[in-house]
Amino acid sequence: MSNFGKLAVFVVILYVLQTSFFPLIAYHGISPDFMLLLTVSYAFLKGTEKGTLMGFLTGLLMDLATGTFLGIHAFTHLIVGNICGRFANRVYKEQFFLPVFASLGVTAFNYFILALLMVLLGYRFNPISNVQVTLLPMLIYQLAFAYPVHYLTYQLDKKLSAKETN
Amino acid sequence: MSNRVRRDKEDGRKGWAMVFVTISLFCIIFFAARGRFQAPVSSQAVSLALSPFQQAVSWVANEIHYVTSAVWEISTLYEQNKMLRNEVEQLRGINLQANEALAENERLRAIVGYQQTARQFDMVAARVIGRESDTWSRMIVIDRGTASGVKEDMPVVTPQGLVGRVVEAGPNSSKVQLILDPRSSVGTIVQRAESRVTGIVQGDMDNPTMPQMVNIPKNADVVEGDVIVTSGFGGIFPKGIIVGLVSSLKNDDGGLLKIGVLESAVDFQKLEDVLVITASREAPPEPIKPPPQTPGTETDPQAQAAAKVEASK
Repeated sequence: MSNFGKLAVFVVILYVLQTSFFPLIAYHGISPDFMLLLTVSYAFLKGTEKGTLMGFLTGLLMDLATGTFLGIHAFTHLIVGNICGRFANRVYKEQFFLPVFASLGVTAFNYFILALLMVLLGYRFNPISNVQVTLLPMLIYQLAFAYPVHYLTYQLDKKLSAKETN
Repeated sequence: MSNRVRRDKEDGRKGWAMVFVTISLFCIIFFAARGRFQAPVSSQAVSLALSPFQQAVSWVANEIHYVTSAVWEISTLYEQNKMLRNEVEQLRGINLQANEALAENERLRAIVGYQQTARQFDMVAARVIGRESDTWSRMIVIDRGTASGVKEDMPVVTPQGLVGRVVEAGPNSSKVQLILDPRSSVGTIVQRAESRVTGIVQGDMDNPTMPQMVNIPKNADVVEGDVIVTSGFGGIFPKGIIVGLVSSLKNDDGGLLKIGVLESAVDFQKLEDVLVITASREAPPEPIKPPPQTPGTETDPQAQAAAKVEASK
């Protein structure tokens, strides 16, 4: 299987787990967002270009597969992938601290872009209670799953890179 | 030097491409939200490719859930038994009252000659195979599609109450918009006979587990604990399906209306199996019979006599 195929299978497995398995432990309907974690990890490992592409594709997958506001995740993940990719040159790939903790900041950033888009679309909500009900549990989930997702992405990337150099 | 110029040019081109894609996506979001842009083919293709994996994983997840909940049930059996005994005592009392009310209801119906219409539904059972983890919309994916007769805008229910409606039907899977989704709106009515106030139930972004009943006039007779059912207005949801109970009431920002916060009848956290209503119709009413007339005042004595002969046969 080609590198792209392996990566695609990895994305699909994570997505299926996110939508079909992890709702079991959802709190008030909120469960971890593996696609965002994957975008952050991949962007930190591979740089701006590939990070942006990964963000766009994972976001588009979410938009098309679940029927949410079309394009909304493709938009936010693309920006997240682009920004995180800019730090790729400044971070040691073996160093897990920054990508794992950056996922918290990125989740909050992603939340605020989505909130802004929802306001622009005409939906009104109370920002304080919304942050308490949705963002806080999301941050806890993301922190708990950031390390395993980053570890898996790192291992996959290492294997794929070794295959490319051989 | 030329290499540097070429790299700068390439970076500039990529930057422009990024700006173009970002602006395009921004436009797509707004066009799609207003219903002017859809991607049905690609969306169905993605659903078709993902649904077998989602079915397999959700089956495993359900089995794990079943085992863990069974263990939990066993460990709490004694307490549950005690609680249920108390509940049975209470329910016996309520049942007596209900029987009285039922008998009275039948008597009154007979007096006013009210024909009860029985609603008949054709339903397709489906399993939930995917659920969105997003914080801004509430959608689920079920394992039935057009091959099982599921189409867009069909209502989705459980024995407890209303779940939502099908927004996109693929061959083997469909996407269901829950009543908790902010885009969803359901025409509803208060079930209590003295009230019958109508309103619209929408998803609430501040509280993703409790929908809101909006457009209730401030002086309307709606109280906490009222049962809210579908009104049948709008033509998508049949009348009389339970949506939830009014948990609390609050004033609308405008001050002229109030909002009822509902406790949904369906536990969306534990949603595993649902029913899609593929056809809904009312049973045909009984044929109209001529009312019995006082002897000697018949409007058509011959027809009346013929009816008597028919009845005696």
